[in-house]
Amino acid sequence: MAFLEINNVSKSFGKTVAVKDFNLKVEKGELVSFLGPSGCGKTTTLRMVAGFEVPSSGEIIIDGKDVTYEPPNRRPVGMVFQSYALFPNMNVAANIGFGLKIAKRPQEEINQRVTEMLELIHMPGYGNRYPHQLSGGQQQRVALARALAMHPQVLLLDEPLSALDAKIRVSLRGEIRAIQRELGITTVYVTHDQEEALSISDRVVVMNNAQIEQIGPPFEIYNFPQTEFVAQFVGTLNAVNAEVVDPKAKILKFEGQQVQTAFSLDKLHPGDKVMIAIRPERLSFASQERKANILKGKVQNITFLGAIVRIQVGIGSISFYMDTFNNPYLALPKIGEEVEITCSAEAVLALKERRESQEV
Amino acid sequence: MKKTNYFAWFIFILGIFYFFLPLFATLEFSLRMKKGVYSLEAFRVAFQDPKFYQNFGYSLMWAVLTIVFSLLLVVPTAYWVHWKLQKIRPVVEFITLMPFVTPAVVLVFGLIRLYGKPPLNLTPTPIPLIAGYIVLSFPYMYRSVDSGLRAIDIRTLTEAALSMGAGWGTIISQVIFPNIRVAILSGVFLTFAIVMGEFTFASLLSWPAFGPYMEEIGSMRAYTPQALSLVSFALTWTSMMIMQRLGRGAKGEEQVAVAH
Repeated sequence: MAFLEINNVSKSFGKTVAVKDFNLKVEKGELVSFLGPSGCGKTTTLRMVAGFEVPSSGEIIIDGKDVTYEPPNRRPVGMVFQSYALFPNMNVAANIGFGLKIAKRPQEEINQRVTEMLELIHMPGYGNRYPHQLSGGQQQRVALARALAMHPQVLLLDEPLSALDAKIRVSLRGEIRAIQRELGITTVYVTHDQEEALSISDRVVVMNNAQIEQIGPPFEIYNFPQTEFVAQFVGTLNAVNAEVVDPKAKILKFEGQQVQTAFSLDKLHPGDKVMIAIRPERLSFASQERKANILKGKVQNITFLGAIVRIQVGIGSISFYMDTFNNPYLALPKIGEEVEITCSAEAVLALKERRESQEV
Repeated sequence: MKKTNYFAWFIFILGIFYFFLPLFATLEFSLRMKKGVYSLEAFRVAFQDPKFYQNFGYSLMWAVLTIVFSLLLVVPTAYWVHWKLQKIRPVVEFITLMPFVTPAVVLVFGLIRLYGKPPLNLTPTPIPLIAGYIVLSFPYMYRSVDSGLRAIDIRTLTEAALSMGAGWGTIISQVIFPNIRVAILSGVFLTFAIVMGEFTFASLLSWPAFGPYMEEIGSMRAYTPQALSLVSFALTWTSMMIMQRLGRGAKGEEQVAVAH
């Protein structure tokens, strides 16, 4: 039995459906991220787990206990908010010990726990400081310590790093993951940042339009997106409508050029339309050794992105992006030059959904 | 080089004269009780009257009771309006502004008509007086608390406290109240100043208070009422100064601004 179960949960605000038929089972000690664009329902789902919203239907179970209608202050959850939500009138120690004080724990136990938590977040000696005397990253670490001080069964993080600058975001997400692993606490993490979700999670739940698009480990979500939305939302993607040429040989055609996929096209017939997707990093310039899946095009633009160089290649009326690792001796083509690019058959994903318009 | 704005200074000095000249005249008059010399005789007479302390004491008691019950009513109401009932905010704001458009005499007669006879004869008790004072203080108390609540992230702080197991009483007393302390104190001192000098309610409901006492003295004596007026002014100004001082010294709302 899973530790946290969200079964058939839906939530509507008037006529607006915020979450539709959400199903998820989270194992003990697992970190699951909800990833999606603004308004997709990820925060509403988290708030239902926290008890701040009551589901319109469905049930939420934590450690075998139905908590669907339990008020938030009786749920075994700790929550970290985007805006830190530290109590400005209390110092760091009082903030961390707040929940324990409410639970009427002995002062000695509170002091001990506060010390433990300050060490856990690498901020010993900060107990007497007030929130306004801390940086954003420090405030969020205190907020994390405060949420963990109560030994919650489930930790909920609502875009905890969104208000921080890029460098602190990266270091703090590593710290959050390390603490989560150390304590083995079941965690739900909401973010709209795909890199954050992929780097921190055991599994990612990609949401769109109030529904789950795909659930899976980060590797699977990135490499084997099941829907067009997931493919487009997670990472950069070259997506194009193609026509089935030979289902058995797995040959497809677009812009007059043929590509082979490794994915099954058994249920399709010649002439059927299907959307194919290729990640930019799976493409490379064709060479003597690599002559399969060759696409001919013209270089339209070259963008230097630091570690990688992104080359935009026009193939007929569409554009493909190709990423290559940067090195000082990289021989790049000139803009306007005719090039041949290639990828393996495994890199050509045939997605469930089709679409009418072509775009990259 | 900075240019001196003579016109601005002229307006400022004019304002000072407009405000202080009557006060100076009152002070000057109050000091002329003894013929031919300036003295504090009027103040001595005022402070020697046992009725002064009695009535002042009553007003002090009414002010304290008004402040306590006003806070109990206004803080949770304003908090709830911010937290869950945003839609009714205009209605609440309209209600709190009523004392500005409804004269005190109309309010007090309304209270007497409603609560001066069975089944709810409350006029022998000070309840209508305190209730009336609470209504009078609405614009000041509610506005102060409301502006304090606007300065902090009520929703997130409440949710954070809830997620740590706090109940509503704890949230209001330990999280919300301390973070709007300065705003509450503003409301408290304004209410205090209003109640200490109030005349209509106390007089028509026949309760002893500083306002009716000043009026009574004014009809019988010449110099003492002027001295009492100045005492009343001093009281109001002291309240204002304490309010300013607390507002400047408090860190609570500055912290909120940084944190959110």
